[in-house]
Amino acid sequence: MTDAGAAADCARFAPPDERIRPGDAAHYVPGQPDMWVFVLVEALIFASYFVIYMLHRVQDPALYLRSQERLNAGLGVTNTLILLVSSWFMARCVQSSRERRYDVAFRQVLFTMVLGLLFIGFKLIDWSRMVSEGLELSTNEFFSFYYFLTAIHVLHVLIGFVFLIVAAYQLRSPLRRSQEIVETCATYWHMVDFLWVMIFALLYVIR
Amino acid sequence: MRAVAVQAAPVLPSGLFERLAWHWRYNPKLEFWIAWYSMVFFYNLFGVVFVGMTRVMPPPQPWWDTPRVVQWFNDNHNGLLVGFGIIFLVSGLTAACNALIGYSMRRMSVSRAFAYSYIAIYSVSALPGMLLTAIALTVGAMRPERDPELIYWLYDMGFMCFVGTMGIFLIGTLVWMIAILIDKNRVLPKWFGYLNICNLITEFVVATSWVFKKGVFAWNGAIAFWVDTAVFAVYTVAFIYLLRKMIKREDFGDGPLPA
Repeated sequence: MTDAGAAADCARFAPPDERIRPGDAAHYVPGQPDMWVFVLVEALIFASYFVIYMLHRVQDPALYLRSQERLNAGLGVTNTLILLVSSWFMARCVQSSRERRYDVAFRQVLFTMVLGLLFIGFKLIDWSRMVSEGLELSTNEFFSFYYFLTAIHVLHVLIGFVFLIVAAYQLRSPLRRSQEIVETCATYWHMVDFLWVMIFALLYVIR
Repeated sequence: MRAVAVQAAPVLPSGLFERLAWHWRYNPKLEFWIAWYSMVFFYNLFGVVFVGMTRVMPPPQPWWDTPRVVQWFNDNHNGLLVGFGIIFLVSGLTAACNALIGYSMRRMSVSRAFAYSYIAIYSVSALPGMLLTAIALTVGAMRPERDPELIYWLYDMGFMCFVGTMGIFLIGTLVWMIAILIDKNRVLPKWFGYLNICNLITEFVVATSWVFKKGVFAWNGAIAFWVDTAVFAVYTVAFIYLLRKMIKREDFGDGPLPA
């Protein structure tokens, strides 16, 4: 390998944080750009779900309106607030980590996790209440979409816990603490929040 | 690898057959390219057979009654027999794909267990994901005079195997994803590691086809089939392209390999 090639490889394999220079601020993407590719693909997939949902909704709006009234809007709003606050904690965590206040950042990622668990807890309560009222996956088309969209979202939240644990693991030891990885994990968590806001609007709010 | 032979290789000739002969004799990555082209050939043939010949993709309606299902078998009699005959003949080519993906993990800074478990999982997955479908539908098409209820049974079995048995792919995808994301040698880009999450989630989505016979969540539904297939197509094109890039790379060995 030539010297130039070796130098290029050294630059490529350098730890991510060392590749970011102050002058690059204008081109700076939080976290790994790879995660943003994933966010884009996920947004496209969910957009296709939403379009399909809306196409079915316009065919029988009365059924969807009647079914929507059976949802517990209070729990929906509570869960939305919980996820928004969790996202806020995650944003604070990234900021704390940038300021090298790692203990604070670690606590903030733990708060995010607790709120994520609370979200899932409320979702389970909501599902069990609905099932006990006889509102199941195959009750009608609206509830099929409801269970599908909320379950797929919960799956994303569960995957999100892996990212939060990775962020906590990074923040815990001075030997790790990659700002890029913390930001990548935060990006995923914000996507989970963003998707929920869309799902909440479509299932609970839209009339 | 035939690294010694390549030093003495003459200049690449211009004619097609001469070039092929040159590659056969001197290309140090010949085995990789054979595996890669086998994979491309297999996926193309898979598309031709499943879409064009057997009409299994897109799947027909799950809610059809018995006479309509029997008619479907009669309409596609020759396509099913010839098409799946071809699939039985070439199904072993999936090994080339598994080998290349397994090899990608052997270049990574991760345990060998990843490559071995991936190869084991995907070797088994050809059975529920492709061969059982092919066997059930071939048996259904073989004797048109068979009891229609039995043909109906084979129809359900064929399509539920094809669309609904994705759990095994899920674990295989998970193994590759984790390997890519924790690898330090950058054999495959991280964005592809994350793209595995999309493919993995589609395996959950198809589970709805076990519940619904009609609508977007049925085995031919807009969500359970079309969106999932679109994601799988993007995923497949991405990994075929990335495996090609991996073969072309010359900087293997720069990073740490497992002991």
